[in-house]
Amino acid sequence: MGALPAIAPRAEVIRHHRQQGGQVAAVLPVYAPRALLRAYGFLPVEVWGPPGVRTSDGASHLQPYVCSIVRNALSFLLSGGLDSTDLILVPHACDSLQGLGSILLDFVKPRQPVVPLYFPRSDGAGAQGFLAEELRRLATRMGEITSRAPAADEILQYVVDEETGDRLLLELHEARRQLPLTNADFYRLIRSREYLPREAFETAARQALTMRQPDAAPARTLLLSGVVPEPTSLMAALDERQVQIVADDTLCGRRRVCPPGRSSDPFERLSQSWLGGPPDSTRGSSLAARSNYLVSRVKASGARGVVFHMVKFCEPELFYLPSLRKALQREGVPSVVLEVDLNDALSQQVLTRLDALLEMIP
Amino acid sequence: MNPAAGLAYACNARVLGPAALRAARLYAERQARGGAGRSPHLAPPLRIAPRCKEMVARHWLEGRHAQGVRKVAWVTSGAPVEFLTALGFYLLYPENHAAICGTARVAVDLATAAEEAGYSRDLCSYVRTDLGSLFSGRTPVGRLPRPDLLLACTNICQTVLFWYRVLAEHFGVPLVIVDTPFVYGEEAPPHALQYVGTQIDEAVAVAEKVAGRALSAQSFERVATRSRRATELWLEILQRNRHMPAPISAFDQFVLMAPIVELRGQAATVDLYAAMLREVDERIRRGMASVREEKYRVLWDNLPIWYRLRAVAELLAERRIAVVASTYTNAWGELAPYLDPARPRESMIRAYTYPILNRGTGHKLHIMQGMIDDYHLDGVILHSDRSCKPYSLGQMDQRERLSGSLKRPALLLEADHNDMRCYADEQAATRLAAFAEMLEAQR
Ligand code: SF4
Ligand code: SF4
Repeated sequence: MGALPAIAPRAEVIRHHRQQGGQVAAVLPVYAPRALLRAYGFLPVEVWGPPGVRTSDGASHLQPYVCSIVRNALSFLLSGGLDSTDLILVPHACDSLQGLGSILLDFVKPRQPVVPLYFPRSDGAGAQGFLAEELRRLATRMGEITSRAPAADEILQYVVDEETGDRLLLELHEARRQLPLTNADFYRLIRSREYLPREAFETAARQALTMRQPDAAPARTLLLSGVVPEPTSLMAALDERQVQIVADDTLCGRRRVCPPGRSSDPFERLSQSWLGGPPDSTRGSSLAARSNYLVSRVKASGARGVVFHMVKFCEPELFYLPSLRKALQREGVPSVVLEVDLNDALSQQVLTRLDALLEMIP
Repeated sequence: MNPAAGLAYACNARVLGPAALRAARLYAERQARGGAGRSPHLAPPLRIAPRCKEMVARHWLEGRHAQGVRKVAWVTSGAPVEFLTALGFYLLYPENHAAICGTARVAVDLATAAEEAGYSRDLCSYVRTDLGSLFSGRTPVGRLPRPDLLLACTNICQTVLFWYRVLAEHFGVPLVIVDTPFVYGEEAPPHALQYVGTQIDEAVAVAEKVAGRALSAQSFERVATRSRRATELWLEILQRNRHMPAPISAFDQFVLMAPIVELRGQAATVDLYAAMLREVDERIRRGMASVREEKYRVLWDNLPIWYRLRAVAELLAERRIAVVASTYTNAWGELAPYLDPARPRESMIRAYTYPILNRGTGHKLHIMQGMIDDYHLDGVILHSDRSCKPYSLGQMDQRERLSGSLKRPALLLEADHNDMRCYADEQAATRLAAFAEMLEAQR
């Protein structure tokens, strides 16, 4: 296996950005309009949980049947974990994030401004204009917070630059079989896009891409779907078993790598880009679109099985599972569902289920 | 129209079935007059209750025979339906069907069929109930007509978006989504309203295509007029509970609300609620209370616990607690001021963007505060509904505010609207008894 390019840890990146006079935006799942945040001087730092926080803080606001991404995010905020951020962006990805955004605005009222962002679920003609206008309003709000007023062509440049970042991210996904990286390192690399400034991410991605070898994947290969590969010990467990994740369909991973937009208006362009993204549960894509996409990813990547790594109580993902699994079954592709709570260590039961899947892959 | 289906429809849904339902209603009325099933703590149901039941039963009966005779649309409870009614669609509400299954206590059995097909127990129990019914072919209403069109509006939750995707896949029919951006603040921004308006126009176009005819402005207005009148009457009925003692309980309302959800654009619904209002007024004149010894008046938040409706009502009434208002039944009354029959399209945009479930947790607290004042309430029961997140999130903070600055005892009652496996009778009884003590102490 090759060595992962150096990637600065999250805390250090945040500290450095602040020292340079920049501000930090905490962005909840699923979609971060990075270019727009950067245009207003914010470093977008995504908050997927994180795992392993003291959840008792959030427990006084949220019932136990709320997913651990949302519960942990609130607990993290209440325990001071987001103190170094200047804005909290809450995309509307599901009923639970809707509830969290609303509770933050109406009851918790943290020091940082909380800005919700609604993503359209309609397939109709109005969706693009609606999202573009949502993004314009987000820009106006950030202008009020930062007193910055970047011109449209300045914002457009940020959009174009971030598109380069996304193109490299996509290239990493596409080149996975040729990259001599462990699963743990590969995910550390692609997930660094969640907090690194685009420039730093591009440097790391380009370095990694120079490591390409003729197909370096072992015999046993998997596609990983679900929400987020946490706890990360799952990756270590796969590495130990000499299994490579050759394709990704996680919510925090490839499922939100969108193609570039076309418009010269930055907001329309961002909207076009998002609307052109891969089929996804939080967008409410059709079952057929998701199934076809997943099967095509399995075929293109040569994955021999699929792991659905689910966060307990995640309604959007749970709804699609039966038809996705059926579609895979029709293609003779075995799959397994591993349900986790972000705060739990990888259980023996989860490992047993994983091993049962691996036994089905010759 | 298929002639055989037309004949079966005419005989069964128009003549024989209604005659049987009428006979059942007359029998129920006679039984009620004779005092059958009376509770020592609760007033008897309204005299009009059997008529309401008959009307709802006729609707489901009609659905049983609608295939091939009328176009059928399956719709979500908060969907803008006035144009569908005006286009002659038979409307089926899967949520109402699930609630019927819940009340009939067959929901768990049906949900199990969905769970066996891979649908997680963490999904909304309405969905599991209905999908289980679909997969197993079992339903307490006889038969559900196949839809020609599906209409899902996200103004109650995102769950319906996924649910209807599953239905669209199952039936292979067009799905129209009306996506109503969640209103975090006081007002929906103009671009959100415009977005909803565009989708309503698109929905009308699809519905016209499926119906095979154009929407007439006249019938659209007529249906909107009836919807408005029915919702106004419904609101008036609810507001009569400002009177002390309250003439009807929220538990009665949960049952009597079915027509306002599924038949609100029809003339018969207006007549039903007008008659119901007269009877409620008569109760007030006669000093008749829904809880015979009403001492405490409380608010119910969230969906009912369908499979324990009567048991919870009795438990509370025994302790002289009357549940006189609910945010759930109030939601359909709140539609009234928004619907403007002269501008049906424009008013629908607002009416269907502003339901309580599409608004913030602070707004819901504000509504509850208003109801506490208007209905002279002593406390609040917040049903923390395990599988309905959009309604339940925010309740912990709401409880904190209600019992803190508003000094109203507020109970968080853990249950589920349709899944009996999430409800423990003894635990609920203990919690409700403790709540009664808190009310007593507060006096
Ligand atoms: S894990 Fe699922 S339910 Fe939780 S925030 Fe993400 S999308 Fe929403
Ligand atoms: S999640 Fe709640 S609002 Fe949505 S369908 Fe289920 S019960 Fe209704």
